[in-house]
Amino acid sequence: MKKIINNLFKSCKALLNKLFTKIKTAKKKTLLITIIAILIFISVWLWDNPTFYFLTRITLYSSIPLMVVALGGMFSERSGVVNIALEGMMLMGAFVGLFIMYILQGKGYNGQHIFLLSIFIGGIVGAVYAILHAYASINMKANQIISGTALNLFAPALAIFLARFFTGTQQLNFSDPFRIKRMGFLSDIPVIGKILFTNVYLSTYIGIVILLVSAIILYRTRFGLRLRACGEHPQAADAAGVNVYKIRYAGVIISGFLAGIGGVVLIVATTTTFNANVSGYGFLALAVLISGQWRPGRVVIVALLFGFLLKISDAVTLIPLLDNLRLPSNVYSMLPYIATLFVLAFTSKKSQAPRAAGEPYDAGKR
Amino acid sequence: MRKIDKDKPLKLTTSELLALDVSKAKVSILSSLLSIFMGLVLGMIIMLIVKPESSFGGLATILTGGFQDGAQSFGNVLHYSTPLILAGLSVGFAFKAGLFNIGGAGQIVVGGFVAIYIGVKWTWLPSEIHWIVAMLGAGLAGALWASVPGLLKAYRNVHEVVATIMMNYIGMYLVLILIKGSVYNSDKNETVSVPRAARLPRWGLDKIFEGSYVSAGIIIAIIVSIIIYIIIFKTTLGYQLRMVGHNRHAAKYAGVNEKRNIVYSMLIAGALAGLAGGTIYLSPAGRHIEIVSQLVSEGFDGIAVALLGMSHPLGVLFAGFFFGYIKTGGFYMQSWGFDEEIINIIIASIIYFSALALIFRTKATQIILLFGKWFRNIFKKEKPKDKENRGDLDEEDN
Amino acid sequence: MDYVIEMVDITKKFPGVIANDKVNFKLKKGEIHALLGENGAGKSTLMSVLFGLYQPDGGKIKVYGEEVKINNPNDANELNIGMVHQHFKLVHNFTVAENIVLGMEDTKNGFISMKDSIKKINDLSKKYGLKVEANSIIEDISVGMQQRVEILKMLYRDADILIFDEPTAVLTPQEIEELMDIMRQFAKEGKSIVLITHKLREIKAVAERCTVLRKGKYIDTVEVKDTSMEEMAEMMVGRKVLFDIEKQENEINDTILTVEKLNVRDLINNKLLVKDVSFEVKEGEILAVAGIEGNGQTQLVEAITGLRKIDSGKVWFKDKDITHAPVREKTLQGIAHIPEDRHKYGLVLDFTLEENLILQDYFKPQFQNYGFLNFPEIHKHAEELIENYDIRSGKGRLTLTRSISGGNQQKAIIARELSRDNSLVIAVQPTRGLDVGAIEYIRKSLLQKRKENKAVLLLSLELDDVMNLADRIVVMYEGEIVANVMAEDTNENKLGLYMAGSKRGDGYEKN
Repeated sequence: MKKIINNLFKSCKALLNKLFTKIKTAKKKTLLITIIAILIFISVWLWDNPTFYFLTRITLYSSIPLMVVALGGMFSERSGVVNIALEGMMLMGAFVGLFIMYILQGKGYNGQHIFLLSIFIGGIVGAVYAILHAYASINMKANQIISGTALNLFAPALAIFLARFFTGTQQLNFSDPFRIKRMGFLSDIPVIGKILFTNVYLSTYIGIVILLVSAIILYRTRFGLRLRACGEHPQAADAAGVNVYKIRYAGVIISGFLAGIGGVVLIVATTTTFNANVSGYGFLALAVLISGQWRPGRVVIVALLFGFLLKISDAVTLIPLLDNLRLPSNVYSMLPYIATLFVLAFTSKKSQAPRAAGEPYDAGKR
Repeated sequence: MRKIDKDKPLKLTTSELLALDVSKAKVSILSSLLSIFMGLVLGMIIMLIVKPESSFGGLATILTGGFQDGAQSFGNVLHYSTPLILAGLSVGFAFKAGLFNIGGAGQIVVGGFVAIYIGVKWTWLPSEIHWIVAMLGAGLAGALWASVPGLLKAYRNVHEVVATIMMNYIGMYLVLILIKGSVYNSDKNETVSVPRAARLPRWGLDKIFEGSYVSAGIIIAIIVSIIIYIIIFKTTLGYQLRMVGHNRHAAKYAGVNEKRNIVYSMLIAGALAGLAGGTIYLSPAGRHIEIVSQLVSEGFDGIAVALLGMSHPLGVLFAGFFFGYIKTGGFYMQSWGFDEEIINIIIASIIYFSALALIFRTKATQIILLFGKWFRNIFKKEKPKDKENRGDLDEEDN
Repeated sequence: MDYVIEMVDITKKFPGVIANDKVNFKLKKGEIHALLGENGAGKSTLMSVLFGLYQPDGGKIKVYGEEVKINNPNDANELNIGMVHQHFKLVHNFTVAENIVLGMEDTKNGFISMKDSIKKINDLSKKYGLKVEANSIIEDISVGMQQRVEILKMLYRDADILIFDEPTAVLTPQEIEELMDIMRQFAKEGKSIVLITHKLREIKAVAERCTVLRKGKYIDTVEVKDTSMEEMAEMMVGRKVLFDIEKQENEINDTILTVEKLNVRDLINNKLLVKDVSFEVKEGEILAVAGIEGNGQTQLVEAITGLRKIDSGKVWFKDKDITHAPVREKTLQGIAHIPEDRHKYGLVLDFTLEENLILQDYFKPQFQNYGFLNFPEIHKHAEELIENYDIRSGKGRLTLTRSISGGNQQKAIIARELSRDNSLVIAVQPTRGLDVGAIEYIRKSLLQKRKENKAVLLLSLELDDVMNLADRIVVMYEGEIVANVMAEDTNENKLGLYMAGSKRGDGYEKN
């Protein structure tokens, strides 16, 4: 019996290792070349093909919120607070933001203004909600995963409760006048014009700005340096005169703000009804953050990849190669999650997680 | 050594109180009760805000709903508690080994699907063992599903929280695909009903709690709790799992194969969640898996149950009953114009409050000390000698 | 007399313990003042109070004659107080310069500008001979350089009152000399220095006055030149102290452990941490591995005990190849391991004492029946060890290990490891952080094992341990063995040269 178990374990382990070393030993260069070759192939094959632009566009629709939320998570985790409550924060932001939209729409206001207002309010609500996580993790030295789980459960319950109470159903419907068809001459720029300046949402640009600003804040400002110090070695930061509690509060609140924004942006760009959930995007953003090794540059790449995988099921019918396989659409729905596991299995052994992430900091402790 | 005056607990600081030698079990239980209390207060406040005139009635219903219709309601309390207890045990067991199993939803739905499949398709089985086979299948499927994050954690260092979350979604979509290929009822867009013969037997419980959905499931859940208690605290396996849970490094040092134990604990946790899935979909209530992209809620409820029960199997048992009880109360909330989601709000806030253990444990310690004093004064007993408090004597430089 | 610092009746309590009980401490301008005490006497706590890391529960602090309240390290910085901590407070993936400026960053238009800062760092570094590379990453530089970064961090903040917390623990004798020269230079410039230490020789060498603490209480402040080492030691410990323990001649027998061309790599960056290391340990012998922290000793032991993967090379134990044997097999074969970090590896702090005493044995027939723990036997076993090894704790075998004092925790590990039937004891820094009584006890236990014809492999950063206990010494530098000498043929100075890599022993010349 014991032998069987032993062998079973060994074969499991061997299988895992073989799988990973095989891909790993394939030289990095060859891997890179293959990827580039595939990209070139796809570009040539789809060149000026409407499907190509359709794909890039819908990829952006889900990549941007993923990226924004993951960047939010980055601020929290790099300050030393693990944030699995991103999902809940997104949901709270999205709920209130869209509730505002639901109320204001059809009252004669400018569509884009309403959109911007909703985004802003979503961010504020996310930030306020994040204070709960900050209080538990920083002041109360709570287990950050427990606190995060509680907030993840609280958000949908409250959203459904309030939505049903105010509207009688848990769904909030809104119309989508936010998509910008063309941006003048910008849309005529080859390739980029069709990707970035045709059929876009304002949120795409907001997302890009957030990315740039985040990277600059993290690496080029005093706050960023201190934030990173608190996530790696809070005692060192404290001894250098940095207020660890304040910095961590700031990190968590920023993460809530960005998650809230991401929530609104996600719902607007992907649907026209809000059903009190954000379909696990918060968790995916967390996976994006981890796969992206907590760095803005890599987060973008992973977010684009995941966004593409998330949307591939929408485009299956347009890609004859995949359409011919006649797979159930749920197969494609599984893709991003499976991809996450694969990416993590590769990157986790050398994980560069902030060293103090998840550990409460206690200045008075010996 | 400073004498800490236990008779004036309100004057002590948090850290002093926590270092005091007060029964850990008592503090845990009391702080759980305080979290529940605070959760109910919050629920009450929300009800007061949205509909003040019905709020008191609503609260009363939450608290007494489990008995609203007598034995029938209470039978349903037991019915709803069953999967909650098993899912809570799953989370709690993994937690004892230092793992956070957020994958309950996936493990439950995979287990539930296998139970339904066996229940629907393997009709050649004699009805006495049909449900047993289906339950075993559910447990096995859950274990298999949980083994993936277990293996990834052990051998690839993938954080189990993220891995189990991903497995939830993969499980959900996989089950949807599998249902369409096997036990699909296209009229209702859900699974085919499990024949009565394959559902959980009633073992006479339906006679006691007439009109309710109670079944053998609750007995199974209680027995499983006791078995898990014994495994954790009385066996070498439990000893080594706890070692891994408290300190992975020390376990490695002691020669425990900590990776293998991570897999074991995920297997057992998954099996428990799978069983929970079995009890949900084989229950006499006849539930189906609907074709919607939504995670099973019992998976996350299991986390709440485990946290409230402090991951202790017997604590989980009671926490499971409690949540089953207030959930039953939730069904009667409609009559007061409240949505039953209020119960989920209360549950989530109870978890949040239990995460604030620092406050609640302090308060609990203070209450215990105050009551102790009060008790002593009543009986005019001689004050017991102030025991020297040896909470922490660690040297400074360590 | 003017004092730059006066700390009067400082009291600091931690749960269940008073770390400082009405302690007085006065520092003159331009002096080097030693703060002497055993581990746990409250030295670091006192200075952390001065540096604003802890708030005192009583007493007052005067700086330059004015009463002040120091709420945090920022306040301390403003009063020109700086501190080099025992465990360096450096962010591992920041550059040297980033670590130095952290908390005092220069900004231009809101962005960090490092140019001026780096210039100031380089100037300071030149002025005091504190060699650092401003753009290196902390985790890539040596421990000695990390300490220089810590010192520069103080100077960068224009500190005049410098606190050094056990600064010599990570240095070679030669580096210690250099550090003392630097301290003297600081004092000459009018800076005032507090040197926290428990090493009397250093106090004699560099300090003018010495304040002694014992068990959180203030004992006395003395002039160093008028006080003998023995007197200071007695004040520190509270009784007469024997400096050297008796070590008798011992017969050395067969080889027990052979390590051959061992190589160990870092999992993350693939660097070689242990390079081609070979040595033998014999019955009845204590072999010490000396070296400065971070030169591969820890990884060497982890590889031998099975905690770390071996890249190449062989390990034989009693003629059996155990290179890739799992930890448990090694333990069962008869290797005892007193680990470096007793909280990380040695104990499960949330277990009771009795549970910790069966950590490697719980599965043996004695302690289980068909997979169920045999509690009566476990109780008996614990009672026996507590009795024999004098482990003191509040509730005996049922005490939560976390609440036992450090010395008794270490005793519990010693009890567990030495009571098992074994022929090789691997002891890693067994005396770290302990008071004199516990240190003596542990040294005696190891010598006792030697007398019983067991082999002992001792890894220690304290040259005192090494010189007092070892029969033979191997020195590691950058993962290599650079010398393998008999203890009687060497002295601390020679060892220091080997440890710094500036000299290599016979047969270990660089190729």
